[in-house]
This record gives sequence, structure tokens and C-alpha cells, in this order.
Amino acid sequence: MSFLQPWLLLGLPLVALPIIIHLINQRRFQTVRWGAMMFLLTANRMARGYARLRQWLIMAFRMAAIAALVFAISRPMASGWLGLAAGGRPDTTIILLDRSPSMQQTSTSGGDSKLLTGRRQLAETLKAVGSVHWVLIESTTQKPRELDSPDALLTSPATEATSAASDLPALLEAAGNYVKTNKAGRTDIWICSDLRRNDWDPESSRWRALRESFLALRQGVRFHLLAYPEAATGNVSVLVSDVRRQENGTATELVMSLRLVREGGDESRTSVPVHFEIEGARSESTVEMEKNQYDLKDYRIPLESRHERGWGKVTIPADVNTADNEYYFAFERPAPRRAVIVADDSLVARPLQLAAAITPDPALKCSAEVVAIDQLSTVEWEKISLLLWQAPLPEGEAARQVGDFVARGGFAIFLPPKSPGRHEIFGARWSNWIDRSPKEPNGTDLAVANWRGDQDLLAHTQSGAMLPAGQLQIHRSCGMTGEFTPLATLKDDAPLLARCANQQQSGSKHGSAYFLATTPAPSDSSLANNGVVLYVLVQRALAGGAAALGNVRQLAAGENQIRDGAPWQRVAGAENALSTEYPYHRGVYTEGDRLLAVNRPLAEDQAPVLEDGRVAGLFHGLDFVRVDHQAGQLGVLIQEIWRPFLASMIVALLVEAGLCFPRKAQNAGSTA
Amino acid sequence: MFRDRRSRSFLDSAVLSRLAAVPLFARRPMQGAVSGRHPSPHRGSSVEFAEYRKYVPGDDLRRLDWRAYGRSDRFYVKEFEADTNLRCCLVIDTSGSMGFGSGDVTKIEFARRIAGALGYLAIQQGDAVGLSCVADGLVRNVPPRRNPAHLISIFDLLEQARPRGETQLVRVLHELAETIRQRALIVIVSDLFVEPELLRSCFQHFRFRRHDVAIFHLLDPQEIGFNFRRPMRFLDMEGGPAIFADPNDIADRYHRALTGYQAALKQHVLESSVDYHRVLLNDDYERVLTRFLIGRTHGRDSR
Repeated sequence: MSFLQPWLLLGLPLVALPIIIHLINQRRFQTVRWGAMMFLLTANRMARGYARLRQWLIMAFRMAAIAALVFAISRPMASGWLGLAAGGRPDTTIILLDRSPSMQQTSTSGGDSKLLTGRRQLAETLKAVGSVHWVLIESTTQKPRELDSPDALLTSPATEATSAASDLPALLEAAGNYVKTNKAGRTDIWICSDLRRNDWDPESSRWRALRESFLALRQGVRFHLLAYPEAATGNVSVLVSDVRRQENGTATELVMSLRLVREGGDESRTSVPVHFEIEGARSESTVEMEKNQYDLKDYRIPLESRHERGWGKVTIPADVNTADNEYYFAFERPAPRRAVIVADDSLVARPLQLAAAITPDPALKCSAEVVAIDQLSTVEWEKISLLLWQAPLPEGEAARQVGDFVARGGFAIFLPPKSPGRHEIFGARWSNWIDRSPKEPNGTDLAVANWRGDQDLLAHTQSGAMLPAGQLQIHRSCGMTGEFTPLATLKDDAPLLARCANQQQSGSKHGSAYFLATTPAPSDSSLANNGVVLYVLVQRALAGGAAALGNVRQLAAGENQIRDGAPWQRVAGAENALSTEYPYHRGVYTEGDRLLAVNRPLAEDQAPVLEDGRVAGLFHGLDFVRVDHQAGQLGVLIQEIWRPFLASMIVALLVEAGLCFPRKAQNAGSTA
Repeated sequence: MFRDRRSRSFLDSAVLSRLAAVPLFARRPMQGAVSGRHPSPHRGSSVEFAEYRKYVPGDDLRRLDWRAYGRSDRFYVKEFEADTNLRCCLVIDTSGSMGFGSGDVTKIEFARRIAGALGYLAIQQGDAVGLSCVADGLVRNVPPRRNPAHLISIFDLLEQARPRGETQLVRVLHELAETIRQRALIVIVSDLFVEPELLRSCFQHFRFRRHDVAIFHLLDPQEIGFNFRRPMRFLDMEGGPAIFADPNDIADRYHRALTGYQAALKQHVLESSVDYHRVLLNDDYERVLTRFLIGRTHGRDSR
């Protein structure tokens, strides 16, 4: 509970007034000569339980009436259930606003979304609290921006819903930095969120650092969590997991894979009409969901053959969260997949060339070219998808060219040369060859021990089957040092395949560089003989590099920023969004020649709500108040409650009057 | 009849003359020294027939009923009731609490009026009257005499009585029950601020001694109502410790104590056949006495 006129609470000592009056009254007694003392003595000896209790009750109710009056004129305020932490008005109020798609969930009965309800309640609350300085830190830019008044929460475009996920630890970090930098005084931090696990990232080590930094602040910081933990039961979301343009002879079609996910434990059979729209042409298909997830594989939509590039969207009927009911995509005629092989051993180059040149799809054109190191300058890097390098690691101009290639989005796989040098690239380098002569008769000690099947080059197939990596026999491997992430390891934990960790220095998020610790040469491994793993590995890297070469992109909202000199133009979706916020709103945009389809991050679907205890644990030791609300709830978060106090005072006075009312005099003469 | 030249504050000749119209009767046989108007436990020579008794040698032959002899051929003696005077003992409480009075009149003054009037009426009809003043002991005691001049000394004694000291009513009543000769009329005028259980033994003692006991219980209206507002300090008129009390706090229990006391007292007077009269100080004493006298004519015992 807080007060708009807290200085009036100085009148609380007036509560003692009835006691003082009582004591004064006791001093003003009269003296009378009395004969019937025996009755007084008898009365004094009698049990005085109720009479004493009555006196105490009268005194208590008088004091309560005064206290209620003082509280009423101090204009108390309270939240819906919990009451706010006691204290005066803050100097600065920071609002951390979760604009993630899950905040667009409405209640099952319809009405306003969680985000809109939260904004309204915050605006009402902050007006009542009476702070003079308001700062908004929303989840997209995570930059503090000052507000003129709490009403700006309702009008500012920066508070509208987006398709980007939130990063609550980052928002709190920004708030902490603001408090430190601006030397804000007493600060209230209001967090409006729906407690989705992907937004809060409770496992992050940043929370501990945040708690410590806030505890170290000298000025008082109070946290108010306006939580909307209501689950979106029955909500169905749609996403396009894969889309590609495919030519079969004269026919051209769009091959699309969809996934529909239903939230909650309801597994009843549901028909969901799915609408497809491709450049304005619409079609519809109905899917029958029997479980909470439905995958539609390779759904084909005919295209005109001249239609080499375009965009579209998939929509399902509106439900409690409209933010995940449509998904945009872009497509184009796939670029030829070209690989360049730099190898100092022809026994290695040949299997690599075969793996890269044989297309998995007749509609795709794949080619592989073996190039000598001194001919690198003649390579058209902008048309290359994959670089397979089995030679001493590049240095000088060659290293720069390879770095640029990966930075642009190309994929590179480095294989160990016969003589590993001392050079390094992307923070890793080769060490020495290790001969792995079999110690067991069936050679199981030469097999691959572990590999990551959940992602990257050795991931399971789309049907869920594992790659036969365990059947490989590695006779020789080359050690590697540096910073990398192992994707496959041998029995002795030596890495077989690793992804370089410091590619971020090139500024690219798409290109990747890998180190494969052996070669397909028969003396080194069975990669060539058991060619499935090598083929899949090369083709996936080739596909990844080709995706970067194309001019269409599937982006998660917030993943890319608008670069200087390359403004985004809206093609579809995001009707009301600011142009500066296009990367955070789902839709289709153009950036120069590129066509960008922006959608919500995959983690937004099926993100569970954080448990209450977990949330409390994140703020352990801090001044923290949580208020749970529901979307569309009309009650304001905080309101003046002087009326109940005034009513309490009246009730106390009435009860006091009733207790003071003289009891009907007993007719003592009736026995005569 | 005598003539008292002095005017007494507690006597009103008009009231006395009106009260004289109703005789003062005893409710049970009295044992007087001379003939009077009250029944006696002995046989005598009044006109009121009592019974027949067999003749025994030595009886006065003049009292033989010859008619009965003629009818039954047996000797019977005809006996008649005896009439005697009564001895009226007035017992006045003169303890400190009798000085209380919230109105114009105090309890002691009211007691003087009652005792004076009853004494006058008794003497006037030839009965003997005595007076005992009780406080922390038997302060003054005048034995009953029927001499009209004796009334003056009783009036003087009433005039000189002052409310003072503690009440030792119970002890004195027991003493009087023993010392007063049997079959007398005992009239007690007091506020009776004594435990009812103790009074009960006194009443039983009087009854055992075949006395006819009448009580005028004097109470002040303020003692009944206890209508105080402010906190009060009550000073004991009989010298006990003062009590500080808030009437709002104690009134309930005071009334409960008073009610319980009155109920117990009523029970005891009924059990002891005491002629009890509760008198408030704002009552008219003439009416009180009239009610008392008339009540005794109805309740007159048939010997």
C-alpha cells in the first residue's frame, strides 16, 4: 500500500487520543458519601470479564476510527490483490515491456490482448503512483527512451506488438545501466510480461550478475512484475519449415512443409483450414489435427514457370493468439550449387568432387571444381557455395579470400593435409597426425563414438533417421587445437568434426567453417567407401552455402537489422509498423535485390510459462512484488482505496456507539 | 393521655390522628402484664368463648356449666380467651449508613418518623413501648413500659439519635432476642446492609422466642438506581475504605449484587414469617404506616 499524501500519516499519533481522554476523565472524579458499600464491594468481587472486554473494545474501536480517518485522508492506494510495497513516490519509473508475439494472446473470451491490457493498466497505475520521470525500455531495441507521461504507453508505436522474442535479462541489464548512468534516485522498475521461458531464459548466468548489480545499487530499486501467466490453451500456431521452388520438366511447383502446433493438453480431433497465398493467389487445404502437432510434408502448389521468385504466406483462422496464425515465406529459383576443392592429394579430391557434384535433386545443378592453391585468385567466389580445403591452411591473401567467403555466408570444410603446418584460420589449426591401429579384432575402437544428431551437418534426416556415422572407420586422424565446437568425436574424445567458434569476427551469422580431422582417402578413413555420411555432410554444407548465395532469406524477427544505405521496403504484412521497426514485424520486405521474409522465432511456439517459484527465485533478495492479471481484465492495477477506510471508520463509530449505549437498567425494585 | 409540650420534628399531629383510626394489632398472641386488646396465650375472663374442659376437683364451681351437666350428666368447665396488652420494642439502626439520603430526608429521619408514630399509637392503645438504638453495639436501650410519660423519654431518645459508627445489627438483634421477654412485637427500622444469611439467623432467633417481628427496610432511590455518570469516589459512611469506581463499568454488577441481595432477603423474611416492608425514602411515611397497620389487621392470628 502506498499513499498519495503520506505526510498526513504524521497524524497517526492521534490514535492515542481516546486513551488520553480516558485518562483525563479518570482524573475528574467526584466524591460522594455512600452507605450501600456492601453492594459496591460485592460488585468489585464479581467477574468483570465482559465489562472489561467491552471497555477495551470501545477503546479499540475509537482508536480504529481515528486511524481509519487518518489513513483515508492520506489517500491510500492498493493493487488488486497484493498491495504495493509501502513507500512514497519513486523518482524514476522504468517500464520494461515485453512485446513478444505471445503477449498478443487474448483471454479465451476474447477482448484485449495481454500487451494492450498491460499497457492500459500500467498507464493507469503510473498516473496514480505519481512519479515524475518515466523511462520505457521495450524488448526490441532494448534502449531507454523517456516518456512524457504514462499515457504515452497507449499511444507510442514503440509499445505495439512485434514478432520478435524478448530478452528479459537484457532488458533488466539495460535498466540497471540506466539507473547507474543517470544516477537515478529511488527507482521503480515495472515489468510487463507473460513469463514465457524463452523470453526470460532463467538458466542464464546473467540473472546472478543482474541480482548482484541491483543489490549493489545504493538507491532503492523496487521491482513490480505485472504478470500474465495465463496459458494459451487450444491456441494453434503455424510455421513453414521448408519451402523451395522446384521444376519437374515443364511443370514448376512450390514444395512446402508446414507444422501446426496446438498448445495445451487437448488432443481432440480438430479440423484446421490452412490458407495459402502466393503473390495474391489463394488456395486452401484443410488438415485434421489429431494430436498437438501436425506436420504437412512437401505440400505442392503449382507455379507458373516464369515465376522464378516471389513470396507468400500461410494463414490459419484466428484464435486466442493471432500473432502465430500466419507465416510469411519467400522463394526463388535455386542457384546452382558450386563447390571448389583445394586438395594436395588426388585420392582425397576425387571422393570430395563426387560428393559435391552429384545432385540430390534433378532440379538442382551441382558442380565441383578442383583448383590448385595458386589459382585461387581466378575463382569466382561470389558464385561458390562450398569450399573443401585439403591443403596446408591458407595464409596471406588466400586466407583473406577464404575469410571473406565465409563472412559472405559461404561454407568451408578444412581437411588435414599430409603435412600440417603452423598456420591457423578461424582460431583453429591442425596439430599432428595420429595413427589409429585397431586394438580390437572387429575394429570398434576405430568407430565414431558420438556425434550431434540434433543439428548441424550430422543432424538426423527429415524422417528422423540417424546418419550411419557410427559405421565409419577412422584409421588416421589429425589433431586440432584452438576454439571450436565438436560435432563428432572418436573413442578417445578426439574431435572428428568441429565447427570453428570464432567466425563471428567476420560479422556473418550464416557462413560456417568446419574442421574434419580425417580425409576420405582409403588409408585414412572409410568416408569414401561408406559414402553416405560424406555425401550428406558435403551436400548439407553445399545447401547452406547456396542459401547464402540466394537473394531470398527467411529471417526470424529481430535477427537482422537495417543496414545503413540499405533500407527495407515493405512488400506484405506489418501494415502499421514503423519502417525502422520492420525487422521486428512479421512480413515480407525487400532490401535492395534481396527478398526477406520475417517471422516470429521458432522458440515462441510452445514456450512454457515459468513457474511462480522460479520467478521469485530470479528476484531473490530484491524488493520484488508480483501481481498476476489476465488479458482483458478491466480492473485497474492500482486504485485509491480511501472509501473502504472511510467506511471502516463509520463502522467503527457505529460499533463503538452500540457498545457505549447504556444497557437497559435492571429494575432492582421488582423483587420488593 | 399525656400532653407533650415540645414539638418534635418527626411527629405530625395530623398524621398521628389519622393513623389512630387503625389499631395496632399483633399477629400472634402476646404476653402482656395487664389486660389489653391483644390475644393472650392463656385462658382468661373475656367474653370470647374458648373451649369446654372436664371439671377437676379444685376448679371454681362458679365456672361449671350447669346446662352442659343437664344435657350430658357430666361436669364441664367453660373457659374464655384472655386479652392482654403487647410489649412493642422499637429497634432503630443508628449506624453511619443511616445518615444517607439523596433527597430532603435521611434514613435516620425517616426511621424517627416511623418509630415515633408507632410508639405513640402503641402507648395510646395501652401497650408498652421500648426503644433500642443499634450501631456498633446496643447504643441506647429503653425497656418497654406502658406509662404515657415514658413516651416522652422515647421521643427524646429518638431526637438525640445520631447516625454514627459501624453496623453490628446482627449481634445486637441476637442479644435483643434473648433479653426481651417472650412474645413481644419487635419493630426493626434499618437499611439492613448486612448479609441476608446473617439476618436469617436473627429472624429464626426471634421466631424461636415467639416474637412478632416487623421490619421497615429503608432504601434510598439513588441506592436503587445507581445513576452516576462520571467516575466516582465512594466514601464509606461507616468508616470503611473508600472505593473508586467508574459507574459505566460497575453499574451492571452493582445492580446484580443489589438484586441478588433483595431476592435473598425476601426469601428469608418469607421463611421466617417476618412482616417485611421495603421503604424508599421518597415514599410518604403515613402511607407506609397505614399499609403496615391495615396489613396487620388482615393478618391477625386467631390465637
